[in-house]
Amino acid sequence: MNLDIIAQMAVSGALMGLVYALIAYGFQLTFATSKSINFGQGELVMLSAFFSLTLLDLGVPYWLMVPGGLMFGAAMGLVVERACVRLSLEQKSEGWILLTIIFGLLGFSAAENIWGRDDRPFPSPISADAMDFFGISITGLEISVAIGVFLVMGVIELFKRRTLMGKAFEAVSADRDAAELMGISATHTIMLSYGLSGMVAAMAGILISPITTVGPTMASALILKAFSVAVVAGLDSGFGVVVIGICLGALESLTSFYLGSGWREAPGLILLILALAVRPNGVFGKASIRKV
Amino acid sequence: MKKTLIATLLLGMFASPAFAGETIKIALTGPFSGGSAPMGTSMRDGAKLAITEINAAGGISVGAKKKKIEIIERDDEGKNERGALIGQELASMGDLSGVIGSVNTGVVLAGDKHLQEKGITKIITPAAGSASMTQWSKAGAKDLSIFRFAAHDGIQSSMVVEEAINQKFTKVAILHDATNYGASGHDDLVDQIKKQGNKLEIVATEKFNIGDKDMTAQLLSAKAKGAQAILIWGIGPEMAAVSNGMAKLGMKMPLIGGWTLSMSNYIDNAGKNGNGTLMPQTFIEEAITPKAKSFIEGYHKTYNVTRIPSPVSAAQGYDAVYIFAAAVKQAQSDDTHKIKTALEDLREPVKGVIGTWKHPFSKWDPANEQTHEAFRRTDAVMGKIQDGHVVFANEADRQRLIKNASK
Repeated sequence: MNLDIIAQMAVSGALMGLVYALIAYGFQLTFATSKSINFGQGELVMLSAFFSLTLLDLGVPYWLMVPGGLMFGAAMGLVVERACVRLSLEQKSEGWILLTIIFGLLGFSAAENIWGRDDRPFPSPISADAMDFFGISITGLEISVAIGVFLVMGVIELFKRRTLMGKAFEAVSADRDAAELMGISATHTIMLSYGLSGMVAAMAGILISPITTVGPTMASALILKAFSVAVVAGLDSGFGVVVIGICLGALESLTSFYLGSGWREAPGLILLILALAVRPNGVFGKASIRKV
Repeated sequence: MKKTLIATLLLGMFASPAFAGETIKIALTGPFSGGSAPMGTSMRDGAKLAITEINAAGGISVGAKKKKIEIIERDDEGKNERGALIGQELASMGDLSGVIGSVNTGVVLAGDKHLQEKGITKIITPAAGSASMTQWSKAGAKDLSIFRFAAHDGIQSSMVVEEAINQKFTKVAILHDATNYGASGHDDLVDQIKKQGNKLEIVATEKFNIGDKDMTAQLLSAKAKGAQAILIWGIGPEMAAVSNGMAKLGMKMPLIGGWTLSMSNYIDNAGKNGNGTLMPQTFIEEAITPKAKSFIEGYHKTYNVTRIPSPVSAAQGYDAVYIFAAAVKQAQSDDTHKIKTALEDLREPVKGVIGTWKHPFSKWDPANEQTHEAFRRTDAVMGKIQDGHVVFANEADRQRLIKNASK
């Protein structure tokens, strides 16, 4: 088979995979601090995309819309934390699972009622024309997705390592009780992680919307993939989600090319089953040791 | 206070049935929200335009007096279960003269059986797949109150294949969505290729799911196997993703497919990549005849738009109302059964915006669904997308329609 085609498939797939990775990263941020994840993360992606589109419709210039959309995402993340997660964590219950799912459903219905059920194009100043790299066509939009994903993940990772607040974040992730004894407020850190997670969701929404269009169901397919990526990579490795995301995306493309487009979803599911069977903590995950 | 309220309510209860006889009740149903909404709302608005015109002229003469048309609107949201509920509701209304509407095949399959049970006349427009009529021939229904006013999939697929052969292609790829609609479209295309003498070789058959945005794999497979054109069956958003994917991969071959390619959610989401896409149409938004001119201007003015979201749907909704009205006039009754009999044998030609309808339907024959189908091959033309509008693909079609109208 033609090498060009394989390369094209792998690159296109990998770029899609980066989006899975970014959403999976949002799962990770909250899991690290609170051992809880927002099952409505997909709806946050969608709501932020709609909000950003509304900003654009109101005449806000693109580059001002981006911070606006990110702020909205962060605010939504905080709402999720306050409304769905905090109480159940205080009671050491698993109520957040149901509550975040319900919040997602609520967001979905709200979007349908506010913005309608139609898919809408999302204008972007970045060109959608294809460029040629050694026989592989990539559009400007796809490159912007890659840059955006690495940028936002890089900034957050730097923040975690270089700032005092970030170090508190890491401390709570490592050992919540010990961190609290050191005077770090776990509640505030968890709030921070949900805010960041919401911001990551908004970034994902803004990045992919010009490619996928905006609609209430835009993230429902993505979120399942992202979840596979998070589980396969392990819920505590930022580097891992990128690697697994890229692999999964490329694998999907190649599968649908060689086995037929009906088999597209298969590799993700097989990977998920394999990972759960062989490495339940994820390929890049650390085995958790609970000292009693 | 309470007494007056009760009295008013009672009065209302008795007054309304007496009032109902004064109007002809027509239900307009379809997806007015959701992915197929451009078709549903355009059909509704086109139909309303016709109804407003008829009512402005005093209504339809039934017996000694003229009766106005009253509209009952129901949004099926493109959901099968809503279709069933609406079908039941409409079937239980005693004084309904008829139903016009529907887009989604599943909705029709769920809802129409209730109407047929009570013998309520329905004209299916602007769409719904072949199964919406074949279900009745398969069941061997002796009498049918359901009519279809849409270019059926058979006509469309034959035109798509014809176009590919006319353009001297020999190798094509078929892309279709994984729904019933896409799968039956694929079967129709394969059928037509056989019927038209096997001049096309299908080098690749690829599927995509509703919601898929990345079509690289499917397209590369078509490209690698040397396809010269892509025949496609699906709905707007996914087909737009195909079109955008083709542009990205530098595939300049034409995209030819079902009339759903004229949906605004294809045209808008594909943008300039949609230019040159070909699909069968029953109506093109171009004022080539005086009738078309007044219809298009009327639609734009009434609904304050510069482009009809789905011109085909709007025109079909408009003409369906006039055909229905002609049947009411011929039956001299608002009784749905009598209207059905009249529809099966319309004596006077109906001048519509798509064309002049001479005896569009005939007595139902379970062995031949064509008896309740209005459209023939000659009623459809090939359309082409150009800068966000659908235009005539062949000048010959345009001239033919102008000539027909002036006759």
